[in-house]
Amino acid sequence: MTRAAERPVAVRYARAFRWTVIGVVAVWHLGYDVVIIARSVGGYDPVAAVFAAWVLLAAVQTAGAVLLLRSELDAARARALAAVALAAGELAGAAYPPGAAISDVSWAANTVGWTGVLLLVRRPLGELGVFMAVDVGCTAAHMAADGTLGQVGATRLITVAYTTAGIQLIFAWLGRRLHEAARQATESAGRWSAGLARSAAEEAVHAERRRRYEYLQARVEPLLRGLAEARLRPDDDAVRRRTAIEAARLRRLFAETDDTPHPLLHELRACADVAERRAVAVTLLSYGDVPPLPTPVRRALAEAPLLVLAGAASWARLAVVAGPDEVVVSVVADADVEVPVRADGPLSVVLDREEGRLWVETRWNPPGSP
Amino acid sequence: MGGDAVESARIAVGVIDDHPVVIEGVRTWLARDPGIEVGHVADTVEDVPCGLDVLILDLNLHGRLVLDELARLAAAGQRVITFSQFTEREMVLAALDAGACEFVAKNEGSAHLLAAVRTVAADRPYVTPTAAGVLASDRRPDAAPLSERERTALLLWFQSMSKASVARRMGVSVHTVEMYVKRARVKYARAGRPAPTKADMLARAFEDGLIRPDEIVGYRSAASTD
Repeated sequence: MTRAAERPVAVRYARAFRWTVIGVVAVWHLGYDVVIIARSVGGYDPVAAVFAAWVLLAAVQTAGAVLLLRSELDAARARALAAVALAAGELAGAAYPPGAAISDVSWAANTVGWTGVLLLVRRPLGELGVFMAVDVGCTAAHMAADGTLGQVGATRLITVAYTTAGIQLIFAWLGRRLHEAARQATESAGRWSAGLARSAAEEAVHAERRRRYEYLQARVEPLLRGLAEARLRPDDDAVRRRTAIEAARLRRLFAETDDTPHPLLHELRACADVAERRAVAVTLLSYGDVPPLPTPVRRALAEAPLLVLAGAASWARLAVVAGPDEVVVSVVADADVEVPVRADGPLSVVLDREEGRLWVETRWNPPGSP
Repeated sequence: MGGDAVESARIAVGVIDDHPVVIEGVRTWLARDPGIEVGHVADTVEDVPCGLDVLILDLNLHGRLVLDELARLAAAGQRVITFSQFTEREMVLAALDAGACEFVAKNEGSAHLLAAVRTVAADRPYVTPTAAGVLASDRRPDAAPLSERERTALLLWFQSMSKASVARRMGVSVHTVEMYVKRARVKYARAGRPAPTKADMLARAFEDGLIRPDEIVGYRSAASTD
């Protein structure tokens, strides 16, 4: 759940960072580079190499930006484009006048650096470090070839490396920190709400246990105590019936918190199960889809069938018909028990007797239905 | 087939089930009625002889549902009572749609099976409590338009122990309850594919005055040509 929760914020940060990088690269290449090239166009040899390098870099930047925004910039593509960018930088550098690797006419090394930030934004920072090292290394190689890499030249190279590659690396690093911070913040928020949900669930379970315990104490304990102290006789029919009813109630109570797709049928089956242990043949038929019912409604719907099943001598037939606006649970059995008839509110219980058979119907209409 | 001539003669019944013990049991039940004779017994739907008044067919033979064969038999005019231990709504509706005259669940006992055989042989509708439960809870858009009383009668018949009990609940006579249940079943005869057996049942219902032709909304006789 933390993964799903962190996504919006983390994705927003990542997207903002990508657009910023693309913006920086575009402004730099379309603005600064064009101005430098236009101003010094006579100084390059051959000038066509500089034009070609500019176009090539523009193409790499466009391809990289499109792939990045589509989330299709995988490792292989990023590295291939990065190599092309470095090659374009080298092509431009080869056309600079002698001794001008770091000068008013040099433009490529810095742009190549920003292009690298764009291309390697989703790769480990080490890869960008290697890329920057190669970029600066090319400039150093040109200076060495020109013989300008003396003490002054080296100092200039270091200064330029600091102000270009250094800034670019710091920019990439900060972007990553920002993204990481956003992820951590949403993660801890997720953990907090998960903890809240867990403690609420634990409280609900606790309340449920307490309710069941109170029930046991009120109904079952006196029965067991009576049997243990020989005040109640197991061969007394009334005691046996009371025991059968409480056994069914307990069984239904335990089934109540089970996680099943059809809780009402599950609970009725639990009641039937207890009767079947007494060798009562139970048929359970159900037609229609039972709508989701609150626990108290299920409890009320199961109560009359439970009493009849507990009193059945040899057979019982449970029938459930359900629809969105009505749930009817009925039971026919060779039982002779008292079932309270009621007709209050959304729940009604009616019964009929015929030749030793008892039919009890419990009907529930949700409030608001006709 | 059917008609008044048969009513004086004995009803010829076929039994198809893949469990010998079920066949034996059904034969024993049918033997209680001297008006019924068993003319065919098999464990497959191949080679069902002509001239059987009613065929009692287990829907699941050797692990395979025989709904298609049921439809073929019904289309050929054979009255079929499906006799199955599967009572899921889809199964019951599929059997009735395919042209079964009645669905009797195996747990419903001899009285229902005997009554179903006698009633179906006369092209009259018989509704077991299981079928009543399915018809009452059928909420498909093309389900037959049942009246409120018909639906109540079906529902109570499904739940209840006897039609007398249903009559007490509804405050009407047993005869009226019978009529509601039969009318509901007849309305269902138009569901699914047309079959001569369904047309026979409808014709008999019109004859008996159980229902008027205009009450069968959208009904088209299998014999109609338009």
